[in-house]
Amino acid sequence: MKTLRQRHRHLLVAAILLVAGVVRLPLERGLSDELLDAGLLQPSVELETRQQVGQSLWAVALGGLRTLVATVLNLRADTFFQAQQWTELADAFDTMTDLAPRTRYYWDIGSWHMAYNASAYYQNRDDLPTLRRRAEWRDWVKRGTRFLEEGVRNNPDDWRLWANLAYFYSDPLKLVDDARAEEAYRRSWETGNALPFIERAMVYAMARQPERRDEALERIRAMSDDPRAQVPAMLALRYALEYRADPGRDPLELALEVFGSEERAYRILGNHYLDLNGRFPNDGVAEAVAVLENRLAIDEEKSIFRERERLQAMPIHPFDDSR
Amino acid sequence: MDAAVEITDLTKDFKTGIRGGWLRAVDRVSIRIEPGEVYGLIGPNGSGKSTTMKALLGLVAPTEGSCRIFGSDSLAVDSREKVGFLPENPYFYKHLSGAETLRFYGKLCGLGGRQLDERVTELLDLVDLAGARDRRLGGYSKGMLQRIGLAQALVQDPQLVILDEPTAGVDPVGSRQIRDLILELRGRGITVFLCSHLLEQVQEVCDRVGIIFRGKMVREGRLDELLAIEDETEIILRDADPALVGRIAELVAADGRASLTHTGKPRTTLERLFLEETRKREEARSSS
Amino acid sequence: MSGSRPRLLNPGRVGVIARHTFTQLVRMKVFYFLAAFALVLIGVQFLDLPVHHSPESTGVQLLFSIKSAATGTMTLFAVVLGVVATALLLPKDVEDRTLYTILAKPVPRLDYLAGKLLGVLSLIFVSLVIMDLLLVGVLAVKTNAVVAQQLAMADAEGWTAAMKANLEADTRQLGPTWSLQGAVLVVFLRAAVIASVALLLSTFSTSTLFTTVVGFMIYVAGFFQADARDFYFSGGEGMGMAGRIGSLLVAVVIPDLQIYNVIDSVIQGEVLEAVLLLKVVGVTAFYVLVYGFCSWLVFARKEI
Repeated sequence: MKTLRQRHRHLLVAAILLVAGVVRLPLERGLSDELLDAGLLQPSVELETRQQVGQSLWAVALGGLRTLVATVLNLRADTFFQAQQWTELADAFDTMTDLAPRTRYYWDIGSWHMAYNASAYYQNRDDLPTLRRRAEWRDWVKRGTRFLEEGVRNNPDDWRLWANLAYFYSDPLKLVDDARAEEAYRRSWETGNALPFIERAMVYAMARQPERRDEALERIRAMSDDPRAQVPAMLALRYALEYRADPGRDPLELALEVFGSEERAYRILGNHYLDLNGRFPNDGVAEAVAVLENRLAIDEEKSIFRERERLQAMPIHPFDDSR
Repeated sequence: MDAAVEITDLTKDFKTGIRGGWLRAVDRVSIRIEPGEVYGLIGPNGSGKSTTMKALLGLVAPTEGSCRIFGSDSLAVDSREKVGFLPENPYFYKHLSGAETLRFYGKLCGLGGRQLDERVTELLDLVDLAGARDRRLGGYSKGMLQRIGLAQALVQDPQLVILDEPTAGVDPVGSRQIRDLILELRGRGITVFLCSHLLEQVQEVCDRVGIIFRGKMVREGRLDELLAIEDETEIILRDADPALVGRIAELVAADGRASLTHTGKPRTTLERLFLEETRKREEARSSS
Repeated sequence: MSGSRPRLLNPGRVGVIARHTFTQLVRMKVFYFLAAFALVLIGVQFLDLPVHHSPESTGVQLLFSIKSAATGTMTLFAVVLGVVATALLLPKDVEDRTLYTILAKPVPRLDYLAGKLLGVLSLIFVSLVIMDLLLVGVLAVKTNAVVAQQLAMADAEGWTAAMKANLEADTRQLGPTWSLQGAVLVVFLRAAVIASVALLLSTFSTSTLFTTVVGFMIYVAGFFQADARDFYFSGGEGMGMAGRIGSLLVAVVIPDLQIYNVIDSVIQGEVLEAVLLLKVVGVTAFYVLVYGFCSWLVFARKEI
């Protein structure tokens, strides 16, 4: 009789646990969703990561200490970097970002290691055949870029990561893709947190694509009242795009309108003309520089045209055959 | 007036082993203790004494029957307002000092402030542990632990004290101190329910005893009634020479009905002898 | 002598038992762990990586290391103490027969259980507060150092004032913030849940080892509860009825410890809103009450 009562108690406890469990399920579910929406919860770790991490660290990660494991792996990754073990390094970063996907730092450093350090390492491996060097270089640039693309997918509201990705796309020493660069800058700008230079960088990326140049000019005109948009590169671009829109204009007149004085026009347009890596439109620039050199009586030796020829003779990129 | 303790047809079964087996630890035991009595429950180890006490304290629930303290059911918490308990071989928290231990139990009973401070000092004096007041219980001897246990049982000034083997493992001097304390409690009108397998001790302090064996109450009654041998008479003589003893023997033989069963020297108990000797040594040392 | 006091959950009585449990644990030298925590914080200082490619990545790793190592050590301490101390104290009182003397006083068993749990939790809480103070101190100093280092590098690269201000704000988000304080509270809440689970287990079992092992198993399983729940609600694709019922059972019996993983996000610089924190507190209170109530149901009729 006594144990019957005891058994009843245990059944009662089991029943209460079940009922409470059923009651809390929707509560927990709602809270989980809310936390996920707020970016405070992270998706479950992938099976592959689990294998990468190893048994003991995995146990630590299970104990609710994912960031701690990521920190330890980051230290390990640093030794891979010192030893130039790039594959291990990249795997370590994949794992870290799976454990701590909201940490910009890991995406930032990881992509930099892959796209810059690892690719440069192969670029400089003179003992390898050129074909192999080029293939490795390319693979690592791509891997770093893909890694960063994954990073912005996980952190769509992080303007710095978008900006980093845009640098990757527009770096003349990497695999240039101006359309993607423009898109990445746009996403960065649209987070609402980015600094003004991001908007300007987006316009530069637009201007590098011939089919986007009309829109770039519209954008520049819209920004022209903003004092923060009055930087030299922006003014030079404005000159080239305005000239492109109306090639019949007098270069000197347009230059004075945009820059205010002949000296300033010469300095800014000269630098613009020498910026070969910028790949900006140069409509009317040579014409204006020629007129201005004439009017300012620039010495033949110091001519922008002479300087430009010198720069053009220098190789920029060992593997780049696009230009 | 309610009895201090009223155990009615208490039966307690325990499950033994993982499947099936049952053990009846207490079998239809009834005990009634009036306020102010000292009652001794005696029996060999494992006879059901401790289980009876636990049931009385509500630590185990009866399978059948009921236990009441001053009229309230043992399973109700407030039945324990008026009772103090000293378990067999108590281990208190070793990290607490004597005074801290008493304060802890006092607070559990709702005491506090100066009232509690005074009570702690009073109890430490009563059990002769004032000198060990701030020593941790880890350093107490067995007898001291038993005495602090008794003090703890008395902390809320209960009207009933339940003592489970209060002198188990305690040396004769300590045992005597505890006996004296029990007598003092009786003097104060506190009801004592004592349980022991040391018969002598029970004999010395109890008004009434019950003998429990294999879970059943086999004998119960007033101590003097239980112990008196009705058809015998004891004569104790001082400085009697053998001729006198011979004459008495002749007188008895002439009676025709009575018979002489034994003559000889009465014996002291070993306990009494031990205490006598240690007291003498103690006095000799303190006087020299 | 005290008939007018409330019978169950008398705050004074619960407080006495809680305070006693607290001192009991303190005298078991658990505070030595604070020294270990301080050592961890000092040790982490040496983990700064020398490789930076831009001002915004400079020194950031150090801040992550400090925060993740500190919250990791806090979690370890809080969870281990929550399980082990709870699993240890109840059987110890039974074994030492001190429980007899306590329950022989007019102490309801609910008060005893509540006092024990509260004692363990308050020890965890106080320890966490001390650790938190150490963490905030170290982190504040290091954040200032990192910001100075970053701004120096930014100056060298010719960053504008706006860019520097933006960078500083971003970096300070990784320093001692209110969200980080919230995360430390979440460490405590998680320990409170697992301690109340251990309490329930220890009212069933007589073995400390069993309670400890099962307690930790439930802790680990708690991180998968959400997966089981989602699996159930998603309709248990690819698995039969048995799989669905199994996942429901796991989801219903085991607490969801994944919600406490917000700590990880806060370390990464996310903001923990007060409203969400309050909701986490609410869910925790629900767990503790349910497990506590069940513990009492079992313990109230336990033969001791």
